[in-house]
Amino acid sequence: MDFPSSLPPSLFMTGPLGLSDVPDVSFMCSWRDALTLPESPPQASENGAPHLAKGLLWEPDTPGPLPLLPPGPDPWDPGLTARDLLFRGGYHFRRQPRAVLDVTEQLSQFLWDHGDIAFAPLGKLMLENFKLEGAQSRSKKKTVVSVKRLLQDLGGHQPWGCPWAYLSYRQRRFSILGGPVLATSLARLLGELLHEELAARWEQLLLDDTFTGGALAWVPGRMPGAGQLVYPAGGALDRLYFQKVSLTPGSEPRVLGDPGHIQLRGPVRQVVTRTVQGEGKAHRHLRPLLTDLLPDHNPDLLCPSALLAVRSDYHCALWKVGKPGQPAPLQVLQVEKGATGISLSPHLPGELTVCSRSGAVCLWNPQDGLRQVYKDPETLVFRDPSPWRWADFTAHPRVLTVGDRTGVKLVDTQGPPGCGLLLFRGGAEASCQKGERVLLTQYLGDCSPESLQPTFHLVCTQFSLYLVDERLPLVPLLKWNHGLSSTPVVAQLLPPPRPGCPRPLLLAGQAGELQLLHITGEGASTPRLAGPPQSLPSRSNSLSAFPLLEPKSQWRLQERLSAPTIGLAATVLPSASTPVLSLFQLSAAGDVFHQRLHLQADPRPDSPAPTASWTPRATSRCSRWLKTLLEVPLTPPMWAAPTFSHRRLLGSFESREVEGKVPEGLRTAMAEGRLLQHRDLGLLPTREQPPAPEPGPEDELSERLEAAWEGQVAAWWERRQGGSSGPGKQPKRHKRRTQLSSTFSSLSGRLDLSDATSPPRSPDRTVPEARPQPPVTPPSQELTQGPWAEGIPSERQQTLRDYMAELPLQGDTPGGASAPSSQTSSIRGTSSRQQTLRDCTVKLQLRGDTAGGASMPSSQTSSVRATLSRQQAAILSGSQPLRKKPRMGF
Amino acid sequence: MSDFSEELVRPTTEDEQGETCVLSGTGMCFPWLQKHIETVATGGKREKDFAQTTSACLSFIQEALLKHQWQQAAEYMHSYLQILEDSDSNKRQGAPEIIWRLGSEILYYHPKSSLETFNTFADRMKNIGVMNYLKISLQHALYLLHHGLLEDANRNLSQAETWRYGEKSSSKEVLINLIQAYKGLLQYYTWSKKKMELSQLDEDDYAYNTASQNMLNHSWKTSINLCALIQIPGVWDPFVKSYVEMLEFYGDQDGAREVLTNYAYDEKFPSNPNAHIYLYGFLKRERAPREKLISVLKILYQIVPSHKLMLEFHRLLRKSEKEEHHKLGLEVLFGVLDFAGCTKNITAWKYLAKYLRQTLMGSHLAWVQEEWNSRKNWWPRFHFSYFWAKSDWKDDKTLACEKALVAGILLGKGCRYFRYVKKQDHQVLQKKIKQMKKSVKKYSIVNPGL
Repeated sequence: MDFPSSLPPSLFMTGPLGLSDVPDVSFMCSWRDALTLPESPPQASENGAPHLAKGLLWEPDTPGPLPLLPPGPDPWDPGLTARDLLFRGGYHFRRQPRAVLDVTEQLSQFLWDHGDIAFAPLGKLMLENFKLEGAQSRSKKKTVVSVKRLLQDLGGHQPWGCPWAYLSYRQRRFSILGGPVLATSLARLLGELLHEELAARWEQLLLDDTFTGGALAWVPGRMPGAGQLVYPAGGALDRLYFQKVSLTPGSEPRVLGDPGHIQLRGPVRQVVTRTVQGEGKAHRHLRPLLTDLLPDHNPDLLCPSALLAVRSDYHCALWKVGKPGQPAPLQVLQVEKGATGISLSPHLPGELTVCSRSGAVCLWNPQDGLRQVYKDPETLVFRDPSPWRWADFTAHPRVLTVGDRTGVKLVDTQGPPGCGLLLFRGGAEASCQKGERVLLTQYLGDCSPESLQPTFHLVCTQFSLYLVDERLPLVPLLKWNHGLSSTPVVAQLLPPPRPGCPRPLLLAGQAGELQLLHITGEGASTPRLAGPPQSLPSRSNSLSAFPLLEPKSQWRLQERLSAPTIGLAATVLPSASTPVLSLFQLSAAGDVFHQRLHLQADPRPDSPAPTASWTPRATSRCSRWLKTLLEVPLTPPMWAAPTFSHRRLLGSFESREVEGKVPEGLRTAMAEGRLLQHRDLGLLPTREQPPAPEPGPEDELSERLEAAWEGQVAAWWERRQGGSSGPGKQPKRHKRRTQLSSTFSSLSGRLDLSDATSPPRSPDRTVPEARPQPPVTPPSQELTQGPWAEGIPSERQQTLRDYMAELPLQGDTPGGASAPSSQTSSIRGTSSRQQTLRDCTVKLQLRGDTAGGASMPSSQTSSVRATLSRQQAAILSGSQPLRKKPRMGF
Repeated sequence: MSDFSEELVRPTTEDEQGETCVLSGTGMCFPWLQKHIETVATGGKREKDFAQTTSACLSFIQEALLKHQWQQAAEYMHSYLQILEDSDSNKRQGAPEIIWRLGSEILYYHPKSSLETFNTFADRMKNIGVMNYLKISLQHALYLLHHGLLEDANRNLSQAETWRYGEKSSSKEVLINLIQAYKGLLQYYTWSKKKMELSQLDEDDYAYNTASQNMLNHSWKTSINLCALIQIPGVWDPFVKSYVEMLEFYGDQDGAREVLTNYAYDEKFPSNPNAHIYLYGFLKRERAPREKLISVLKILYQIVPSHKLMLEFHRLLRKSEKEEHHKLGLEVLFGVLDFAGCTKNITAWKYLAKYLRQTLMGSHLAWVQEEWNSRKNWWPRFHFSYFWAKSDWKDDKTLACEKALVAGILLGKGCRYFRYVKKQDHQVLQKKIKQMKKSVKKYSIVNPGL
């Protein structure tokens, strides 16, 4: 092999990371890298023009990648964010931002949600009578609590989720006395664990190394342009899909048929593939094991088949994807401590390396089994707590690279264990910064040494990208500041698009960023960047191709598009005119996106780069995808409706022997523990809706918003489309409008006695018996009961009604009555049903004040209000799925 | 104003200098931490508007650069220059370097930028960030050099060389050494041009004397410039190469040897294969004894067993009288063929086939077996698979024949590779294949009894 006859000058310093006194002579910029020293006196470049292909530019066909496959049927949850973990508020800008974990909120959340887990053990310990240390003066009766009685009180009572649930005096006393004791013991026990868990989650949010290497693979088929995409999908990414795709240089890829899939037991983290050139017979020659499993009986041995290595959290598996398309499993390996990386040998078919969190690296061959070649629980260069390990191959089939966060080492599997040279060292040798860590390493060699020597390794940190030659350890030949704003996940070196062209190197960050570099260095010249690196459109750039949606769905789409990238696969299609690069991306939501790029034929520096635009086909494809996506149900919220104890109340009910249909219905509903409905109470069927709060036909916006809020805007639209042409609804609406306008006229202050059929209603009119004859004829009470009663369970209605009966008589004078009623209606004018409830409360308060506390004590008022607001909360949460609360997985 | 007074009161601590990255509990630095924290921030003191706009501007420039929109990047750069007036002294000090880094990149690629623009920009930047004077001068000179302007580059470097500011520090010293070395390299270029002219002149010519006199002067200056840098650990291939060439020209063989030996064997230097290659080349030119050459190449063999000089090494070892060298010769050949980039090296296969026969004839079966033992479980798949037989035969029939012979010797005549090639009918190679069959029958290590 050729070795560069003259390496670029570089200073060699040994020492730790971020050594301050080192002049940075590694030029971290693309143009300076282009300035290699001329080999001979630069007579050739006397003409002045640098002989460098300045603009090697891949132009995207569309402004962003397009969805290739419809979204999967499983809901996707974006998981924890910084908002869930960090302390909010009190933010103070500092040059070194500090993250403070919010343990208190999580702890209180946990106590609410899992009170039984938190307090039960302690309660069991204190099962018999126990004494709480109180003041000596207090009597025994007040400081000694019998837990038995307490538990009796609590029997069937599950107060979590409902802060206002019924409490007995005993319970109240216990909570006052035992509060401090319970709180401290819990905080001590749980707080530490919770903090540990939160810290781990936060670390994972900052750096997620599970998908390092990428979980998307392109298995080329027999024909150029045909092949299979292998990727995990499904809610837990535990189904491995095989999708046949055909690529043509001129058009978008075609998906051939439905994907086949294999259900696995764990989530797929990494998928690696290598084409094996006709190795079926070769294996047979060596060992019968492989060939027995292989379906490959094709006499044409040059037909390519591929090996597929899959890494899950605790398992690794190897498949063979033969020509018939049916993947055949070869072997499965269990990794007890958890696998961190897997790679397939480019030299020997079926040979793999597997790394485990314990620090062991194994060479795995389906025929010879597993062989541990390296083991060191410590990191290579300096101490780092991360158990992440990585291993890859080198130009020598028996020498591996073993990497961790601090460096990369060359390990000879045939030599004595543990020995080897450091290939890359996180330190002054590579002018690393303080806090810099290796996040990705990859062997860049393959079987075409013509364009680039097979001795190069890529090392990526959070700041830079290094290219290292295994023949010149420790001195990176190329360093470039990639500037990605997330963890680099995948890197892929592609074959040259044209003979003699530099090779494209793709680098993908977890947040979806994609960068494309060109690396050149044939024969005896040193590798360097050819031209400035380029960024490619990410998935979130495609947002403009989708139709505009209502905010909720728009947010959902946006969230989906910005799901972390977990896989990348690319192929260069040989084409007569311009080479085409086909790029597939896999997101954590299981979506596969595709982007086509073509090499700019003749880069003219003067002309501005033409900007790509969306084609109608692309937008229609996006709309279809979006439609399917919106049909996918959302993840059910983890919050559950509070349950109430009813057994005790049921008993007291039964003792009273009340006759009538209403109590009977109530009793059966309570006994069955279900919701009380109108028909149970045998109430009069609800009449036609009262007119006022209904928005008129002009008020499309609120109608649409309401539909959107319930996530049924498409249905609304269809209804509207159909409805506007249908004659049925028109007259009704018209009627409503007149009613509405009359309402408004009544609001203007005059009293129009003639418009008695539809006056502004106020909740106080619902009081059935105690109402005196108002000056304005009210509508029948059943009619007015509708709006407010609808949202409230019937038993609450009853309570409410009782309270209302107690209210002082309203409106002694007609003038006095008209003023508050107009006030109420003006509030109601803007409202929906929930608003009515609030009005009701407002009104109640109003009454209480004006009456000067004549009939109702204020504490009672507040309790009514509490009941109301609770109901309100329940209604609100019923109609709108709550955002998932941050909670920890205990 | 308040910020300013705050600045005066508060001493700048060392750890506040990290701008975008933050260390976590593990000691790792996350450039994306700030982004996460900003999503949580609900109130409190924010970054100043000025800082916000400048950092937004910076990200716009970076984005434009990655999209190759040079025009746009230049426009943003125009706005970004305001950072030089930032009231935050840390940022103000760091700014010139960022401006230089991005600005030079824009000007390098911008379609309308010219040499003059670049020169003006570089000269301006040198004096804005005084701390960066040396670095910018060096890069400016490289730019000029790359554009073929040797004179200008030389002038630039001379200016930088004499520049002094502040205290002496080791990093400055290294930079000055580097600048001097580049200057020396430029002088070497002129020198080698003169040498070319000289070689065309007649020795009796009058002009010859002046020319050689000139060269002598150059050489002296250059040696001073170059020798300081190459004492510092690093990879200095171009400098060492030119320095040695000049020393050799003036007959200072000892000096050249010392430089090269130091470059190759000093432990503070990285293990650079080129250092050994240069030394070997020098010794070869000097017609050093074979023993000496072998000892140099032996070290190269340990560093880069795949180097193409290894075949030369094998030839040397083969010619040597020592038995251990003969054994090493076999090892070297096997070593070369271990590497993925050398599998199609026909010379290596030819040598191996020939040398295997020779070794086995010399009844050194043990040597072969020793080499083969560590390879027998992977070479068959790596080299001698049926697929390779087919594709080698298709691509290069001579290679296939050589490989088949080796395969036959090592794996026996039942080996697929050997069988495949044996079966092939070829007019020209018929004789060769016949010979191959004979050799395999005679020497195969699988059944030595036959």
